[in-house]
Amino acid sequence: MIQSTLALGVEAVGQAAFDAGIKGAFGYPGTPSTEGFEYVEALIQQDGKDRVAQWATNEKVAYDLALGMSYAGYRSLVTMKHVGLNVAMDAFANSALTGVQGGLVLLVADDPGMHSSQNEQDSRRLAEFAWLPCLEPSTVQEAYDFTRRAFDLSEALQVPVMVRIVTRLAHCRAPFLRQEALAPAGIGLTPKARVQDWVLIPSNARRRYVDLLAKQPRMRQEAATLNRLVSGTGRRGVVLAGLGRAYFGQLLIEHPELAALPRLEVAAYPLDPALERAFLDQVDDVLVFEEDYPVLEERLGLRERAQVRGRLDGAVPRTGELSPRILKDALGLATPDGKGAAGLDLPVRAPRFCDGCGHVDAYEALQEALRNVGAPEARVFGDIGCYTLAAQEPMAAIHAVVEMGASISMAVGAAFAGQTPSVAVIGDSTFAHSGLPALLTAAESKANVTVLVLDNRVVGMTGQQPSQALDQVERLVLGLGIPEIDLQVLTPLPKQHAANVTALEAALRHEGPSVVVFRRECIQSLRRGLLKDHDRAVREHHTCSAEVCS
Amino acid sequence: MNATRIHGVVLCGVGGQGVLSLAQILQEALRRSGLHALQSEIHGMSQRGGSVHAQVCYADQPISSPLIDEGCADLLIALEPLEALRYVAMLRISGHLVVAEEPLPDMEGYPPLEDVHAALRAVTGAHLLDTESLARKLNHRQAGGMALLGMASRFLPVAEKIWRDVIAQRFEAKGPRVTEKNLEAFEAGRQMIPEGVEA
Ligand code: SF4
Repeated sequence: MIQSTLALGVEAVGQAAFDAGIKGAFGYPGTPSTEGFEYVEALIQQDGKDRVAQWATNEKVAYDLALGMSYAGYRSLVTMKHVGLNVAMDAFANSALTGVQGGLVLLVADDPGMHSSQNEQDSRRLAEFAWLPCLEPSTVQEAYDFTRRAFDLSEALQVPVMVRIVTRLAHCRAPFLRQEALAPAGIGLTPKARVQDWVLIPSNARRRYVDLLAKQPRMRQEAATLNRLVSGTGRRGVVLAGLGRAYFGQLLIEHPELAALPRLEVAAYPLDPALERAFLDQVDDVLVFEEDYPVLEERLGLRERAQVRGRLDGAVPRTGELSPRILKDALGLATPDGKGAAGLDLPVRAPRFCDGCGHVDAYEALQEALRNVGAPEARVFGDIGCYTLAAQEPMAAIHAVVEMGASISMAVGAAFAGQTPSVAVIGDSTFAHSGLPALLTAAESKANVTVLVLDNRVVGMTGQQPSQALDQVERLVLGLGIPEIDLQVLTPLPKQHAANVTALEAALRHEGPSVVVFRRECIQSLRRGLLKDHDRAVREHHTCSAEVCS
Repeated sequence: MNATRIHGVVLCGVGGQGVLSLAQILQEALRRSGLHALQSEIHGMSQRGGSVHAQVCYADQPISSPLIDEGCADLLIALEPLEALRYVAMLRISGHLVVAEEPLPDMEGYPPLEDVHAALRAVTGAHLLDTESLARKLNHRQAGGMALLGMASRFLPVAEKIWRDVIAQRFEAKGPRVTEKNLEAFEAGRQMIPEGVEA
């Protein structure tokens, strides 16, 4: 074993995937999953061998890239945040039926407490929904070990395997030990005899569904090797999963008397009913500590063998992430007095746009243009990115933010209901992610909408990753059927304000779909010089082709 | 140090002030001192001026929890005075607080600075640092963070040499001058707290 340096939990997953000999990593940025991809991307770039790390247009594309690599016989990793899995759900659920050739591991990062997300959905439910195994580490070391394990499991059971982590573990930095690193080794293309398994026409799919269900006992057995029943002396017990395990483990050091509680430690799913029964035989009262949904709590409660308590009965808060204090309170442990809160009202310090960010200029122009066309109260449909910050007071420039790409389709829907003007604001990368089909519908239906594409040339919010729509936005817009005359490209700068307002007014007054692209590079990307090489290459290429032409 | 419990440091400030980088130096210094140390951070939108905080837990045995409980932290290092007030409740009764006096008031409803300072002075174990004057004196605009770490070092079980090594390594890539400046700021902070406050 090799002593590794410090890394975040989510990075340990990336390291493990690299060491497991993946040929490729794919993903779409989303906090707190982003650094996992970036870590493995850096390793792959240093390695210089025949491996690939590729950000995808969206999570579904990323998943399908990984699945294609698996079909071709190589190991692959795909990363996303929890809501990203909704986008990839079609691929995920159906890949359970096709199964895999090379091992495929999905890293999905959940965000209990919604530190930077729009919901706190629980990916364990989605693994269950797809009938697939899910491993849930509770420490950085486990994040590494479980990911290694997940690749072996994926190939042994011929199914994709999910590794689920949560924000606190994703962003916990700790040392961990690595295992021997494997070079990518293909096991060959999916053999001819298995091709029909991958063709999910009903006759094959029915057979594959039966096959998938037949794998469940093996999945439960494999999961059981990571789960643990620890006997105690009393009839009061605890069920621990994810960070519930980590926090309880810490409490055990400070309160050795807790060792008397029988405990069921869950690190992998699906759960083996025999293990559940064995545990429930030992207890009358159970407290469940798990992140997000009451998955284990509900399951054990349904057996009606013990009183099961947790999020459903309020023993643990119904929403939000676990904390050491929550465990202590539920277990009836004394909590220290501490210094107590400061005696002053503390206003929140909300995140805000970077100084000089072009989004601000775009929004100021939009708000003035709306006033000028007599619609100062118009509702504007926003989307997900830095520009979501405009929903806050005092700017309050957008009035709905739901999920990636929703702005355009919602504006079209509202236009159909009679709203004029009906405006959508979407970033370049979100536009590529899932705005494209929506804009095709807008063009096709000739809906009376104005779409603003705020093009900052990178994925700003998650740390300026490359945008798949770089330098392509106009071509995409035109290709989707927006007439050239209804497309304008503006520069969001204070000195362009008057001209931008005039141009926007024209777009707002126009009957039918129109698109206004506001293009100025993200300040952070500029500061880091991320697009310097790209822009130089484009310039040089241009000069050269101009010479050829002339 | 108390052998049976987990020790904790909370670091806080505003995005862009370098909270996470201080936390990493701290974690590395504790690790080199033979301790187990975990760092936990909340970031994601940090470049855009929101509140940022990190925790470093350490003990002489393996740690599994990335978080310390309210009322259990030994030390709070705050790069901004209002942010400090948000985390005072994390401190145990005997805990210490080292905090920059200089505010970043660029937000809605920042309370009068005198009130913020008064609330901080009312906390037992609080050590305020006039980061503005120090930066001027050392002719080093970013001196504050390192100086606060220097103050904090008095309350941490890390030898001075280890601190210097870790800081030097951290800034190595930026050249000897930057390294010197940071070591100087660290030392200035360290001198502000008398030796042997926490045995
Ligand atoms: S990161 Fe870029 S896009 Fe986001 S607020 Fe800052 S400048 Fe604007």
